[in-house]
Amino acid sequence: MLILIRKRLNMHKIPMLFDKMHCFKSLENLKSAYIERIHQVSDERRSGKKSVGTFCLFVPDEIIFAAGADRMILCGGKNDTISIAEQYLPRNICPLVKSSFGSIVNDGCSGVKSCSHFSMVDMIVAENTCDSKKKMYELLDNYVPTYVIDLPQRPDTPEALKYFVTELDKFRDAMEQLTGNKVTNERLRQEIISSNETRKLLHSLYELRKRDPSPISGVDMLKILQKQYFLSPGELKEHLRMLISEVESVEPEGAHRPRIMISGCPMPGGNTKVPEIIEDKGGVIVVEESCTGTRSFWDMVDEDKEPMLALAERYIEIPCSCMSPNDRRIDNILELARDFKVDGVVYYTLQFCHGYNIEKYKVQQALKKAGIPMLFVETDYSNSDVEQIGLRVDAFMEMLS
Amino acid sequence: MISVGLDAGSATTKAVLIKDGRKITQTIRPTAFDFISAAEIAYQEVLDHAGIGKKDVDHVYATGYGRNSIQFADKAISEITTHAKGVYHLYPEVNGIIDIGGQDSKVISVNDGKVTDFLMNDKCAAGTGKFLEYTARALEVPIDDLGSLAFDSETPASITSMCTVFAESEVISLRTRGFTKQDIAAGIIESIARRVAVMARQLELKQNVAFVGGVAKNTAIKSALEKELGISLYVPAEPQITGALGAALYNSN
Repeated sequence: MLILIRKRLNMHKIPMLFDKMHCFKSLENLKSAYIERIHQVSDERRSGKKSVGTFCLFVPDEIIFAAGADRMILCGGKNDTISIAEQYLPRNICPLVKSSFGSIVNDGCSGVKSCSHFSMVDMIVAENTCDSKKKMYELLDNYVPTYVIDLPQRPDTPEALKYFVTELDKFRDAMEQLTGNKVTNERLRQEIISSNETRKLLHSLYELRKRDPSPISGVDMLKILQKQYFLSPGELKEHLRMLISEVESVEPEGAHRPRIMISGCPMPGGNTKVPEIIEDKGGVIVVEESCTGTRSFWDMVDEDKEPMLALAERYIEIPCSCMSPNDRRIDNILELARDFKVDGVVYYTLQFCHGYNIEKYKVQQALKKAGIPMLFVETDYSNSDVEQIGLRVDAFMEMLS
Repeated sequence: MISVGLDAGSATTKAVLIKDGRKITQTIRPTAFDFISAAEIAYQEVLDHAGIGKKDVDHVYATGYGRNSIQFADKAISEITTHAKGVYHLYPEVNGIIDIGGQDSKVISVNDGKVTDFLMNDKCAAGTGKFLEYTARALEVPIDDLGSLAFDSETPASITSMCTVFAESEVISLRTRGFTKQDIAAGIIESIARRVAVMARQLELKQNVAFVGGVAKNTAIKSALEKELGISLYVPAEPQITGALGAALYNSN
């Protein structure tokens, strides 16, 4: 993809960031992680272990693992399964929803191949977030049993928390039914501790990105972030530990490059278009305020509280744009911009993602007040707008330097 | 010091040659299919006009849609930055720029020639030169006559479609409903002005705003934009060359 973009943009005169940046061995190892994971999950399923597919940070991993099941994320980042989805879904909904749905219902007739893991789940655990996903899940249930967790949409009220606890209780029951295993508080506590470990590792990695120049590129970072909910927690932690020790020992060279925060929609595996353009044009992404970024690991789960309540309290506070009001997201963006010393924010949205597209206005006003420049990029999974985005990013970099 | 700025635009290619910060000569030519050779020809033209050989040129800077493909340029710069620089050279007091080109429109907020914010419409032809081209065709008038026709209208037709292809159909349906050419032309002009004014308002461009790009030559659009924004706009004598001028001035203060 990167080579393709470079060819299309004919960027012979632009210094390559990646030539200068360190090549991390632990990221090379990630290349074989996909196929190893596929073997692992098929072995597990043969021995009777259940595997569930998820789409969203609001689904607590801890409950799935405590029930003795495995999980893989099913968010689609590839363009080629979108046309399959458009046989069922309207054209004007977001590419993530279409790509995911297309990857799951794909029967191979059109010659497009879905990645193997899309057909390796016994149940889908969905969640009521945005309208497109909600309605897509209704159709998905015709193909794979789909369990939906409802979310209260005004998270700051005490009633919302109470309701979310009952929803998570029901989800725990559903997992027990699927696996035949009891989800005990003891098991939940173990999984909470394990997930918090992962969160702490990601915090350590992000801490290193506060250095100037940053020792790791945003495109490299995305490679591991996109695998966060695909790998087993044990493997992920192993990869993170290796990467942290490598990144710690890197002495970054070169001049200051504009430090960029990406804020907005998630970038599932297969979708790296905008980060590649930003870093090819001389910027360096130092933090991602997104579901493939800080939103996934920023807050810990309280290990001392009653586990189901602690989970509900932590997960209900994820600053997703489907929540209203969602001002904690604005506060978080300003805090990250300060802590990571960002020069500018690229507000990234997917076409037809109304939540993040509308929330742009509030974020823009807040950043303006704080004196932080922002570039808005609305895009899809196709390559048709690579040149246009390239021009905006060029101008943005010129503006920042 | 001699430098040349080349603006490889989608519709026209522009070149400006400057010596010690002063413009010596310029050229504008259609880009046609091969924008690399258009840039080469434009470059040669300004050299010939100025009576200067290639070896005497210190720097060549490229901007515009094809900027990254001009191998003989020292550096490629985005047209947002170069328009700001070019306009600053002509009107130092300007703090906002509206640029309507062949395939996109931009509004730029500037401070002392430096870009502080910008917005672009490049996903859709509405609010660009292409929109004028298509709707003029549906009206069966040459694009250059659109402005004078519009001035003769007292009751402009309303064109509401955001999509250029549908606006073309809308023009045809207005024709069948008996609207005059003048009223439809005025409707087209108002539609493009409305569209661009939304972007200008988003960046809060309120005064000292310059209007550049090929479409700025259309005085009816200038008046419609001025009416829409409630301000008068600065339009350079040659509104198409500010990008090339800014590129040529890239290295000077």
